[in-house]
Amino acid sequence: MRILVADDHDIIRRGLKELLTSRSGWEVCAEAKTGREAVMLAEQLRPDVVVMDISMPDLNGLEAARKIRKSLPKTEILILTLHFSDQLVREIVEAGVRAYIMKSDADRDLVAAVEALANHRPFFTARAADMLLDGFVRPHAAPPDPDAVIRNRLTSREREIVQLLAEGKSSKEVAVSLGISVKTAETHRANIMRKLELHSVSELVRYAVRNQIIEA
Amino acid sequence: MPRVLVVDDHAVIRRGVQGILSTYPEWDLCGEADNGQDAIRLAGELTPEVVIMDVSMPGMNGLEATRIIHDVLPETKVLLLTLHSSSEFVRSAFRAGARGYVLKSDAENELVRALNVVIGEGTYVSPAVDPRGVKESIFNNN
Repeated sequence: MRILVADDHDIIRRGLKELLTSRSGWEVCAEAKTGREAVMLAEQLRPDVVVMDISMPDLNGLEAARKIRKSLPKTEILILTLHFSDQLVREIVEAGVRAYIMKSDADRDLVAAVEALANHRPFFTARAADMLLDGFVRPHAAPPDPDAVIRNRLTSREREIVQLLAEGKSSKEVAVSLGISVKTAETHRANIMRKLELHSVSELVRYAVRNQIIEA
Repeated sequence: MPRVLVVDDHAVIRRGVQGILSTYPEWDLCGEADNGQDAIRLAGELTPEVVIMDVSMPGMNGLEATRIIHDVLPETKVLLLTLHSSSEFVRSAFRAGARGYVLKSDAENELVRALNVVIGEGTYVSPAVDPRGVKESIFNNN
């Protein structure tokens, strides 16, 4: 089985690789440092499973997962996070990701999760599974998270730009990164600030940290 | 053959260090711990040449464990492995008695180099950290 590992910390990639290759027949066919690299390598190499950290610079794991699910519907994805977030679980599932574990439990859960995905079964860390079940059984119990409602109104391109802006890029740098005109980048930026009701870059950064789009 | 103890609350990081060291047979990973207390106990029992220590752990953090190991086992060198690159953190690390500071984001490239430097009685600071803020604290502790 061929697995792509994506995490911006090389020591974590190495640790994940050690855990995964302990299973015979499992091979890490490539490693990526950013979401963008992950998408590119996934499209090139068509791995069976992508193991991906949610917070990576340039393009985070959730956005990368959305893109990979679109172009490679047969590729299964596992997302890893440092911190547990109820809201994130919902988004992860909506992005088409069927396995979610915490980095702190990787030694216990990683192999089991990838094994499940290899058999096209989902795997969620216990706390996430409880949370999802709760939401399924009582869908109207929890009030909708205002951040999520707003976020759903952002286009995929706008979500990408939120991350780049929160990482400190100027509109010009965003334009260069994405291969669009500066004017287009500035239009997206204005739309984002308006939709998210933000008034400054520091508010945008706080929003991005709160929603684990970037690491604190 | 120098012996190393690795301390980090995340197993995936300990596995990562194990993976890196496995390709350098001159280094012997003699033990691992997932918290500061066990780190101190194992360091006393195994007397490794180097302890690779994570800074942020629940309970006793890595800096505190570093201080204690430095006091109780002055021959043991502590190399901190961390996410934080600010000079303030680095200064605290050296004040606590650490001999090296490596960032998790570049550990694959730097870890073995750092180990070789500290075992040779030198101090190692990840190149990603601005050295200017840090020089005095290194010299004051040597």
